[in-house]
Amino acid sequence: MNKTVFVGMSGGVDSSVAALLLKEQGYKVVGVYMKNWSRDLPGMKCPWAEDLADAKRVAVKLGIDFYVWDFEKEYHDKVVGYMLSEFRKGNTPNPDIMCNQEIKFKLFYEKAVEAGADFIATGHYARTGFDSTFSSAGLENSGTSYAGPPAEPPATRANLSTKGRPLDVASIRNASVSSTRLLQRSGSSGIYVPEFSNQDMLQKKQNSKPLLLRSVDENKDQTYFLYRISEEALSKTIFPIGGMMKPEVKKLAQEKGLHNAYKKESMGVCFVGEVGMKDFLKEYIEIEPGEIREIESEKVLGYHEGAVFYTIGQRHGLYISSDLPYYVVKKDVARNIIYVSKNLNHHELWKKEIKLKDIFIRNQIKNEQVLVRLRHRAPLIPAKFDGETLYFENEVKRPASGQSAVIYDGEVCLGGGIII
Amino acid sequence: MDMIYLDHAAATPVDKRVLGAMEPYFTEEFFNPSSPYLPAKKVASDYESAKAVIAHAIGAKASDLVITAGATEANNLAFTAISIVDGSCRRLLPRSALAGDPLRRHHPPTILYLETEHDSVRRVAEALGGEAIKVLPNGVIDLKDLKAKITDETEMISVALVNNELGTIQPMAEIAEIIREVKLDRMKRGIKTQLLLHSDASQALNLLEINVARMGIDLMTLNSAKIYGPKGVGALYVSHDVRLRPLTVGGGQENGLRSGTENVTGVIGFAKAVELAKEHLNGNRKKYASFRKILLDELQGYELVNKKHVLDNFVVLCYNGIDAERLIFLLEEKGVYVATGAACAASKGVRSHVLRAIGLTESQIAGSLRISLGETNTEEQMHEVAKIINEVVSAERGRINE
Repeated sequence: MNKTVFVGMSGGVDSSVAALLLKEQGYKVVGVYMKNWSRDLPGMKCPWAEDLADAKRVAVKLGIDFYVWDFEKEYHDKVVGYMLSEFRKGNTPNPDIMCNQEIKFKLFYEKAVEAGADFIATGHYARTGFDSTFSSAGLENSGTSYAGPPAEPPATRANLSTKGRPLDVASIRNASVSSTRLLQRSGSSGIYVPEFSNQDMLQKKQNSKPLLLRSVDENKDQTYFLYRISEEALSKTIFPIGGMMKPEVKKLAQEKGLHNAYKKESMGVCFVGEVGMKDFLKEYIEIEPGEIREIESEKVLGYHEGAVFYTIGQRHGLYISSDLPYYVVKKDVARNIIYVSKNLNHHELWKKEIKLKDIFIRNQIKNEQVLVRLRHRAPLIPAKFDGETLYFENEVKRPASGQSAVIYDGEVCLGGGIII
Repeated sequence: MDMIYLDHAAATPVDKRVLGAMEPYFTEEFFNPSSPYLPAKKVASDYESAKAVIAHAIGAKASDLVITAGATEANNLAFTAISIVDGSCRRLLPRSALAGDPLRRHHPPTILYLETEHDSVRRVAEALGGEAIKVLPNGVIDLKDLKAKITDETEMISVALVNNELGTIQPMAEIAEIIREVKLDRMKRGIKTQLLLHSDASQALNLLEINVARMGIDLMTLNSAKIYGPKGVGALYVSHDVRLRPLTVGGGQENGLRSGTENVTGVIGFAKAVELAKEHLNGNRKKYASFRKILLDELQGYELVNKKHVLDNFVVLCYNGIDAERLIFLLEEKGVYVATGAACAASKGVRSHVLRAIGLTESQIAGSLRISLGETNTEEQMHEVAKIINEVVSAERGRINE
């Protein structure tokens, strides 16, 4: 019997194509729209109903079952609640990471399994792999395998599990290009479509440890948001588009007549854009005016609406008239004071060491030398990690406290932690 | 692929003749009717004539109409007629003010509304502490329930002439008769409280003969968008002895009840649409009756939801065990556009309160498809669409049983 996959469908092109690919590869696919948030905010209509209709329209087109699962209460408690409490402490949390940890790869996963799912799937740009020897041996000697297409020539596979680390991105790209050619020659489709049947193998290898791998499209990689998802959920997760480039995903959607091929991507938090965060917070957190001081001179330059609304490094939204822009370099939440500076090189903004808390280790970190991502889509920076603190060779622009630092070994996401 | 549009209860295309009538008022006769010079006065006079055409269609005068930006606004305005006594002031209290208002908690409901009303009536009535009147399983008002719920405090009863999801026609004359008796009784006992009948006739203007006086209606909502006129134009008929409170204050247009420069083009278009509707009233009813028959004869495997007392252009089908929303998307691929219920409710993913009120189960509600016929339809289309729907339904049943 065909394996059953419950795929989270947001109405966007990525999860739509994910569902399409699963269906084409013979899985019994069930689409689920997770209703996490539906409230309109001042000046912003929540598009959940439109998104739901988009998701359902695709599900109907694919001829798959479709459900709406209401997680609004849980989302409010687990994600919004966490977010607000962190902001109140003066931190800048990342709700998407929490949403993946608590909702998509926990509640959704659990409910799907209960409903008979063998696997879950999402439209994230990420891949999975497994490593049967990871826990006992070092990565160097491990039998690491990746979610690459089985059609891949053996030489490429060898390249991927190369012993020298970190794995260079170019070789991964090359791998995908070569498989593209292979599939094109076989004439099945003009678009490189990865297979992801290794999940079945993974299941059979009871002792194997799942790996979270960066997507082939380096520009879209979403492992930054996924580093805290549980091992159990990951072992039963398929990321159908993780081996594809975004333009290929769009092209496929277009070729298959999915109406949302050109739908604008939802950015940032599920329900508020970057710009909307302050307005969103104002719905929940009282405005409390305070001073804006220049950090060098301690001079009061102006007033703000509450220190919690501002993020380190932020440039906009300061009611200060000046020839050069000021940047937030420090927040004193207790005294409700924001410190700013015109100096972009101010020592508060640049650090060589970043300490982490709530560290989540996916796979044993064998080497002190790791790669670190400090923001979604930011470049990978080499660093040393002693299990608590990241040490960089050069100073790095310090992300706000509450944000995550995610640690990689080559393309394997090893885990990460919350920046203190 | 030619489209087959079966959602005229949601929107109608503007008739070309309507558009033609409106055109000069966009670019040439654009003057503000309140301006003092002659060309503006001509526009003012055209505007009044247009209002008269609309008013005559329901047996009223131009001065009885308040032009609004659609039926929702007209419905909202109608409810300003009720007085919540607060000192000597008659005023409509906003919901927020009412929430903690002792008046609301201790005041018996002054509004009765049919439970199948459109949200633009239901939400306002609910916010003002109104009480719902039940409908019978056929969608018609339960007159016994109405009688039982009228108290000495009841000031207003709101019943749509035609329901927007089922097409059910309500017996306004019988309702008016009950109201007359209550008023007579109140007079005998020296009770001065007003008792008004409001009716939302948005769906009815092009298919029913309407006369407000004969129907005993004090307030009536009209809508241009449903009768091949422009969207964003509506009207509230207000009988002489009803006092309203404006929701929009400003230059004092529309007898001070709806300020804002007159929507001249909209009203000209509305009037033309009314004129055309009245011309074709009887022909249309025959046409839709025959269309409905073709559909009911040729469609398969459905239960008819709206059997009796309905406008013939409404055909509500229940395909039990099927998710009608899926049918919408499947039909959309074939150029057939239908709905499940009121467009505004459907877009929020809310299950129809109307279908629930007539006693349908959740599964029946989920399987219900609303077809509303109109001017864009032909007899040929009816045969064709019956075939398409049959195919789509059987394919979907096949998928489910796979």
